Amino acid sequence: MEWKLFADLAELAGDRHVSVDADAGDTVGDALDELLSAHPPLADRVLDDDGDLRDHINVLRNGENVFADDGLETVLDGGDELALFPPVSGG
Amino acid sequence: MQLLSLVGPAADSLAERLAPRLDGRVATVERLPNREGGTDTDGVDGAFGLADDGAWVGAGDDRSLTDLLDALAPEYDYALLSGFPEARAPTVVVGDQSTKVRGEVVETVETVDDIDADGLETLTRHADDGEPYITLDTLVEQVKQSPRAERAGAIATFTGRVRAKDGDDDSRTTHLAFEKYAGVAEDRMATISEELTTREGVEEVVMHHRTGVIEDGEDIVFVVVLAGHRTESFRAVEDGINRLKDEVPIFKKETTVDEEFWVHDRQ
Repeated sequence: MEWKLFADLAELAGDRHVSVDADAGDTVGDALDELLSAHPPLADRVLDDDGDLRDHINVLRNGENVFADDGLETVLDGGDELALFPPVSGG
Repeated sequence: MQLLSLVGPAADSLAERLAPRLDGRVATVERLPNREGGTDTDGVDGAFGLADDGAWVGAGDDRSLTDLLDALAPEYDYALLSGFPEARAPTVVVGDQSTKVRGEVVETVETVDDIDADGLETLTRHADDGEPYITLDTLVEQVKQSPRAERAGAIATFTGRVRAKDGDDDSRTTHLAFEKYAGVAEDRMATISEELTTREGVEEVVMHHRTGVIEDGEDIVFVVVLAGHRTESFRAVEDGINRLKDEVPIFKKETTVDEEFWVHDRQ
């Protein structure tokens, strides 16, 4: 599974695209744990003191906000596109 | 309008060979050697010749490459630039090019004569590599062509641009750099446009956000609404830019004379 990262999150991870060891049947949370354990500075940025994802961090699966539905429990399908990004600031 | 920049000694002749292979209306822009004044007549700043069939020629003073591209953008599908290494566009280098090229070099060729039909085809495809060159006028012309235009008595537009200073003490912003989540950003903008268009009296909503580096004073984003009457056009253009700023995955890094920061870190 591949994560797309944006803005300062990509800078902290050192790359805009990061492959992680998660497959169909795993959850978005599993894929996030894999990503963050490989990139501690990114974990410090997106997790609060309790280890929960900060409210302003966005997680998208195939372009849709995962928190509109099952959140980090969402089960992955093969070929899903995952994205992690800070608050948007266009315009 | 898509741009393709050609640089190097034989750039003009490559432009001549590529132009007929592009689908749509093509403009070529050549760099002229330095001239004395733009027109031959004292006191005339722009000189135009126009025939009954629409054929025309022009000459003038004081136009930058950006000015010219802004004027061409609503009318042409492609612009082939030859001799402008400063252009922000996919660039083909022909022969020896010693000056620095600002755009991304997508291909380097030795001489124009050696390129076969397949090679020319490959080069023309690079014209679609870059971001489209879209201006406010491009979008205004687009909505005027709408099949719903005969119902519309109003066009409202919003242009967002790079603000150098937010107050007397604010350190000057030199440029902003935008990145977007390609694909998802366009989908979100399309959804906003569709939803606004379902409103009574709103006929068309189009929007475009530029990406990459945008300098102080340059335009960033456009929202254009075609509507029956002014009231619904103003409401829709305001809601359109507000929703774009809230919902579309685009990120900006600001560079001032003092520092550089991600804007979401300061909001």
